[in-house]
Amino acid sequence: MEIKIMRNILDRNQNKASEVRNLLASKKVLMVNIISSPGAGKTTLLERTCDKLGTTFRIGVIEGDITTDRDAQRLKKYNIPIVVINTEGGCHLDSHSISKVLNSFDLDNLDVLFVENVGNLICPSQFDLGETFKLAVLSTTEGDDKPAKYPMLFREAEAVLLNKIDLIPYTNFNYESFISDLKKINGQIPVFEISCTKGDGLKEWYDWISKKINDSL
Amino acid sequence: MHEIRIAEDLSFIVLDTARKEKLSKVTKVNISFGQLVQIVPDIFEFAFREIVRNSVVQDAEIDIEIIPVKMKCKNCGSDFQVKDNLFACNVCRSTDVEIIQGKELFIKSIEGE
Repeated sequence: MEIKIMRNILDRNQNKASEVRNLLASKKVLMVNIISSPGAGKTTLLERTCDKLGTTFRIGVIEGDITTDRDAQRLKKYNIPIVVINTEGGCHLDSHSISKVLNSFDLDNLDVLFVENVGNLICPSQFDLGETFKLAVLSTTEGDDKPAKYPMLFREAEAVLLNKIDLIPYTNFNYESFISDLKKINGQIPVFEISCTKGDGLKEWYDWISKKINDSL
Repeated sequence: MHEIRIAEDLSFIVLDTARKEKLSKVTKVNISFGQLVQIVPDIFEFAFREIVRNSVVQDAEIDIEIIPVKMKCKNCGSDFQVKDNLFACNVCRSTDVEIIQGKELFIKSIEGE
């Protein structure tokens, strides 16, 4: 006999994500789920952002790492609340792990919560954390073909940060090809061309994210 | 590698349903995956088999239907199937489009006795 089920396989994750989203909305906290490959520059972006906006906004960070707290150590100097989630081999964060650590934050005294997901372009984009939006970070050294290969992330992200633009002369990164692939997948997505080490383009990013935070207050 | 987690959540649903329906054997699991979720069927099936080993589900056939990506244009209202990663309206060329199909991770039914 056949038994009809008709259910989202990930509905446990989805239900918890909705709870997280409602909680954060009631506390007026913007949650940004940052997704990239390993080494694209997520932590350096957070260092820069905390340094620049840490006095304007109350920032919190959730560091998702397979193991170690090295990323969190790098952010300690900004004196912001940071919680590390070690996935112990897991390739992505999920809404249950986020929900558990939200108790560690004083949400009434927070404007924005940056979640640094595990470095990976596929798995994290399948798991809703309850974020306000996803942010895709890509570095030029990874190659210009990433949007075409990982359309889900680039379709779902609110913006793309193209990092390490200062290194383009040393790579075979084809900017036209990158933009053309990206715009096919998501014709309306803003792209910020930045160098987190040199500082190029970061002002536009700060302005954009500041507006997003202010709009959610 | 997200296949493993998805296989695990699927196994909970299948085993729970089999228990409630008092099945002694599950012969088939019917699921649908949207093309955008980039599941590798072989890895998924391998993970699922490992998880359900020594249970009433261990010999079940797994039927995976892949669902193509469809979008609806917010400008002219037409819906269309996405080809070659081009997420723009094929009538008016607008990029103001929303995904209406292709992100599914869905269990339709199980069969058993």
